[in-house]
Amino acid sequence: MSPGRLAVHPSHLIDQSRPVEFLFDGRTYKGFEGDTVASALWAAGVRMFSRSFKYHRPRAPFAMTGADTNCMVRAGDEPNVRACVKLVAPGLNVTPQNVWPSLNADLMSLSSLAARFMPAGFYYRTFMRPKFLWPWYERVLRNAAGLGYVTLETPSTYYDKEYGFAELLVIGGGPSGMSAALSAAGRGARVVLLEESPYLGGHLRHERQTVETATGERLPAYQLAARLSDRVFANRNISVELETNAFGIYEDLWIGAAKRDTRLLKIRAQSLILANGAFERPLVFENNDLPGVMLGSAAWRLLHLYATMPGRRAVVVSANDDGLRVAIDLHAAGIEVAAVVELRNDPDPTLAAALRARGIDVKVRSVVVKAHGRRRVERVTIGQMTDESPSLSGTVDVTPGTREVVKCDLVTVSIGWTPATGLLHQAGGQTAYDTTAAESRVTQLPERVRAAGRVSGTHDVTTAMAEGEMHGLDAAAELGLGDGASTELREKVASLKATQLIRNSSAVHVRGGKMAFVSFDEDVTVKDINDSVAEGYSSMELLKRYSTLSMGPSQGKYESTNTMALCSAANDEPIATTGSTTSRPPFHPVSLGVLAGRKMEPVKHTPMHDWHVEHGARMMNVGLWKRPEHYGDPAEEVLTTRRGVGLIDVSTLGKLQVIGSDVPELLEMLYINRWRKLAPGRVRYGVMCTDEGMISDDGIAANLGADRWYVTTTTGGADGVYENIEWNLQSGWTFDVHVANVTDHYAAMNLTGPRAVDILREVTDIDLRGDALPYMSVREGHVAQVPARVMRIGFTGELGLEIHVAAGYGLHVWETLMDAGRAHGIIAFGVEAQRIMRLETGHFIVGQDTDALTDPYMANLERAVRTDKPDFLGRPSLVHIEQRGIRSKLVGYRMLDAHVVPPEGSQIVVPDSTRPIGLEIIGRITSARYSPTLDASIGLCWLPADGCEPGAEFTARVRGDLLPGRVVSLPHYDPKAG
Amino acid sequence: MSFTLLKRGLRPNRPPAPMWREHPLQDHYDVVIIGGGAHGLATAYYLATVHGITDVAVLEKRYIGSGASGRNTAILRSNYLTPEGILFYDESIKLYENLASELDFNVMFSQRGHLTLAHTDSSMRTMQWRAEVNQIQNVDSRVISPAEVKKLVPFIDTSDRPRYPIMGALYHPPGGVIRHDAVVWGYARAADAKGVHIHQQTEVTGIDVEHNRVVAVQTNRGRIATGTVLNATAGWCSLIAAMAGVRLPVETRPLQACVTEPLKPFLDTVIVSGTFHFYLSQSDRGELVMGASVNPFASYSTDATLDFAEALAGHVLELFPSLAKVRLLRHWAGLCDMTPDFSPIMGTTPVDGFLVDVGWGTYGFKAAPVSGKRMAELIATNRTPELIAPFAYDRFFTGQIVGEKGAAAVTN
Amino acid sequence: MMQLECPNCGPRNVSEFRFRGEYVERPHDGADPARRRAWAEYLYFRDNRAGVQKEWWYHQAGCGRWFLAERHTKSHAVENTRYWGGEATS
Repeated sequence: MSPGRLAVHPSHLIDQSRPVEFLFDGRTYKGFEGDTVASALWAAGVRMFSRSFKYHRPRAPFAMTGADTNCMVRAGDEPNVRACVKLVAPGLNVTPQNVWPSLNADLMSLSSLAARFMPAGFYYRTFMRPKFLWPWYERVLRNAAGLGYVTLETPSTYYDKEYGFAELLVIGGGPSGMSAALSAAGRGARVVLLEESPYLGGHLRHERQTVETATGERLPAYQLAARLSDRVFANRNISVELETNAFGIYEDLWIGAAKRDTRLLKIRAQSLILANGAFERPLVFENNDLPGVMLGSAAWRLLHLYATMPGRRAVVVSANDDGLRVAIDLHAAGIEVAAVVELRNDPDPTLAAALRARGIDVKVRSVVVKAHGRRRVERVTIGQMTDESPSLSGTVDVTPGTREVVKCDLVTVSIGWTPATGLLHQAGGQTAYDTTAAESRVTQLPERVRAAGRVSGTHDVTTAMAEGEMHGLDAAAELGLGDGASTELREKVASLKATQLIRNSSAVHVRGGKMAFVSFDEDVTVKDINDSVAEGYSSMELLKRYSTLSMGPSQGKYESTNTMALCSAANDEPIATTGSTTSRPPFHPVSLGVLAGRKMEPVKHTPMHDWHVEHGARMMNVGLWKRPEHYGDPAEEVLTTRRGVGLIDVSTLGKLQVIGSDVPELLEMLYINRWRKLAPGRVRYGVMCTDEGMISDDGIAANLGADRWYVTTTTGGADGVYENIEWNLQSGWTFDVHVANVTDHYAAMNLTGPRAVDILREVTDIDLRGDALPYMSVREGHVAQVPARVMRIGFTGELGLEIHVAAGYGLHVWETLMDAGRAHGIIAFGVEAQRIMRLETGHFIVGQDTDALTDPYMANLERAVRTDKPDFLGRPSLVHIEQRGIRSKLVGYRMLDAHVVPPEGSQIVVPDSTRPIGLEIIGRITSARYSPTLDASIGLCWLPADGCEPGAEFTARVRGDLLPGRVVSLPHYDPKAG
Repeated sequence: MSFTLLKRGLRPNRPPAPMWREHPLQDHYDVVIIGGGAHGLATAYYLATVHGITDVAVLEKRYIGSGASGRNTAILRSNYLTPEGILFYDESIKLYENLASELDFNVMFSQRGHLTLAHTDSSMRTMQWRAEVNQIQNVDSRVISPAEVKKLVPFIDTSDRPRYPIMGALYHPPGGVIRHDAVVWGYARAADAKGVHIHQQTEVTGIDVEHNRVVAVQTNRGRIATGTVLNATAGWCSLIAAMAGVRLPVETRPLQACVTEPLKPFLDTVIVSGTFHFYLSQSDRGELVMGASVNPFASYSTDATLDFAEALAGHVLELFPSLAKVRLLRHWAGLCDMTPDFSPIMGTTPVDGFLVDVGWGTYGFKAAPVSGKRMAELIATNRTPELIAPFAYDRFFTGQIVGEKGAAAVTN
Repeated sequence: MMQLECPNCGPRNVSEFRFRGEYVERPHDGADPARRRAWAEYLYFRDNRAGVQKEWWYHQAGCGRWFLAERHTKSHAVENTRYWGGEATS
């Protein structure tokens, strides 16, 4: 046996032969393998771990379940770690939280002296005036808030996701959950069992009482846990996930669980059994948060899982048999039990006798009134309850003159349990408060969801196991396996449930004192609740929002029942009427890393990507794609292309293959312009609108002959265009067409400039002589010995040959063209040069020069809009718009100063002294570049339709200066004219 | 310290004064406002204080602030895209700035600055556009570099490691966050003090219209005769309007939000990333408050979804990798009434006496004071104030769609 | 996560689908000046029911079929799905 530890016992989780050293608050401590930080520190005599949120009161382990926040510390680089479930590891550096400057000399704890001036929501009532001081006050408030801290150095470690499927998912590996899993698996169901602890057994694991199995055998609880656990692990139909927190039940039984804080499990279940237990309930009394005051089950966990003495001299507060058993177990471990303060009149005679036999004083109808001590409990005041206590709403009064003070360093509280119904509510179940049982009971469950054990109000082990078995059999039957639980079993469960002992006291709160905490997370007191309700925050939801009850890191798990009771008391209404607040995921807080998993941000590369990178391209993001912005000098790329020839990768264009006898009819409906007469071998530019008449996409369509067409869309536009075509085809357009989105199937490049034909001719079998390939036409043949489509189009104003080849040949064709072009001085150019050239030519870009409210009339496409067609997407709107007229127009401009290029987004203004800075906006610059070809600052802008003729002058606000520009006719530059 | 708190601290046994009272439901009110959120309560407050109209009932199905007012992430800004949007929200910000002292209730408006990140050259253009329009409307707003972003937000990754590196940001110093519940409670208390009746747990079940005029509202607690009804609901605006026979250009979508466990303050500014679809701020309690775009399909469900949390966490960590161990604590959803042009619908409808202040999408909270003030003006004077004229119901028939759609998607 | 039954592929996670919106009929005479209001109603106005709604879905990450679903907008219960003009599945 190690100092401060109990003799080795099979129920222990720690291995006392394997010590582990770690740090807390700068000092080295020794624990054992299997220890949590909390158990190791407690065994070493540490009684203060951190400080509380509002008053900076000392905090130490209270529940030992991982679900409360009293023992939150920083562990390594992780803030807000629950020390009671965090396992010790060699060298782990644990530090206290919310302390300033240090744990023992915390100055902020002085705030509790001013508590009377800081009621719930105090900040709403102060710091309003003077207004200019509020930012300073706020800074003070902010710095006082928060618990743990993050640092920039905190690394993002490895996270992953796992998908699962379960015929039956069981949440909770206690007696009822294991029984459910075993019975369903016995019928052949594939079961997944999730358990948050590193072991199965649930509360049996830390209890020593004798329990009875289904077969009538009697054995100690921890042995039953081991036996059931062995059977579960041996069953091939059950897969067990330990250390796995089920945090959310989402629609259609989609369950989220976090495994060891590193892996997200997403499980689709056909059936669900909730067997996730209950939380032991705190009693609200003066200084009930002092270290050393803990739940009876916490003392059990320290004793029976971690071989740790919870204290030396204990006062046991009891209102059920659990409390009496805690007293017996403490005594058995060698702890002096100074008193058992028993709220009931008539504790179980056998247990009471056992206590008396050990010389332990059981004070019936007694209660703890106040804990005393500076940093840990040193004494408690206890007293006799009045005859009227507890009141209907759970308030306890003490008969004057019966108070006495008892020295102790440990107070355990065992007054009842709150079913852990959070997940049940998320699953769509409903509960109602049952006054007799003094707990919320399940009233309704959705299909395929069942609840067993403490969560469903079944506290007795034998009953819980029978209930689990029954639900397991029924769940299997629902899956078509077996015929469900027998009538006999059903009746047995019903009768056992009806006759089980009530373990919950209706006592909630011992009257008196100011520091009687309902919420340990947020330091909310009874008085705070009473005041808030008096102020009008009377419903549970308003109370929660105003007082911050249940908004802390434990999500109110340990305060919900007490809050409900106290709120109903303050409202003078029954608890059942008060109701609870909505329960939402996550049931347990879950780290962003677990939710995020591995980085999943897709990137699309064109087939020529590596070539661009090797040749010094600066890559830019265009939607999911990476494209070369330029290869060093975009102006040089423009000039070289215009003088000779350039090659650009346009593989990112959206591409559709459209086949069928009705393709022209389809295009007539899709685009605003005409298609029917487009001959095989010809290409046409088209603009597409929404039914609102707003420009949605543009591109070209090529008639390849024999009912085969090839359509391009904007980069990133293909999916939307394709979906929309399919929607129309599947909802009424009865055309003989077949459409495929082939965007990623083809590489595309555009050979641009006066020498383009000279180069392509060297590597193609397509006839390029004379007028063999006129402007806006298409041919199929070979380029660089591979099948290719070549279209002669001109986005840049220059002769442009757009070559589309199967994606796998992209790089080969690209390199062949670059090789062939070397003698002609070819240059690879990027998006920037292309943008400059298209601007010089006056082409707009959908989404840059147009927005969601741009119609074709505004974009100078009135001649393309064929409202004389019977119908097309947007036609009715365009007819109305044509009649109504337009207010603004997209036009070309030149700045008068050739060397001022306004940032795109600059506004065109006129003076108006009634406006805030004397300017009214009348237009906007959407594209602006310095044109190396023209040595001019050119662009496109929006101006009022009246007065935007070429030659009209305007004023642009450019980086705060008002500068003149002039409307010019488009194109800015025409190579054929120039 | 305020006098109230001092008094309370010194007389601890006297219960505090109630914020608002309960009243019997009258069978007639001059004005009935449906919806006890920030918009409805603000309208009631300005009706009572500015126009002396106090025979007003605010009907709330659950408890005040239980809808969108208490579910949004309380980000305030006025750096919109269109001049009409900016003028409107700018008045709202100015009203918010004085709200605490006007209502004698600290709504904790924290103007710690608002950053809209740009990760693509097209969003850089939009930021520039917004900055220019904002400056011309005299709203403090400018485009800043990644280095300046880093200075304001040391925790953000401005390197080229993220999938879409930060290229710049629109910086709006007056933007910030506010305590949303406090706005609701402050307006409620002030309206109550002026004689407005706030009826919680009062659900509207019908609206009586005769000869194309509103004559009464039916509730679960009885009928109220009235000639003026304002639909100030969010999430249910189509259903309330349908009771009066009015159809709206609205689709209801849930919007989810969440907070993490409290952390010591490390983030002062509000961060919005359109490309990564999230917004993030740190509350005065230390929680990180996070949100993203509306759900991908129409719904009246306020259930949280796991996909939302997964996507949001992934996107936040892309820019804030050192937050991987921070835990998500609470996660909820509210309902947003989306209009085709991402702008509200305010004013009269084809039914006389039936007014709307609806279609607030994801940006309603920002506009509560100005909407309340101007809707009150409309109710009192029967004239549509210039500031809200662009948001008229009729615009969908006359082609006067508002241009805020340009700044769509994540707009908080 | 909600599941939706594709008439072609069977029940799948809703994340595989794209929602297009409430089902509305496109007026054939929307360009008629007398029908301007009806055209605007078609473009912008919706019933937006809190109940069973007929709506368009697209199996984007699956077979690429568009279909109609009758879905409760509050409970998300799907009564049936069908192709346009097809028989309902349930």
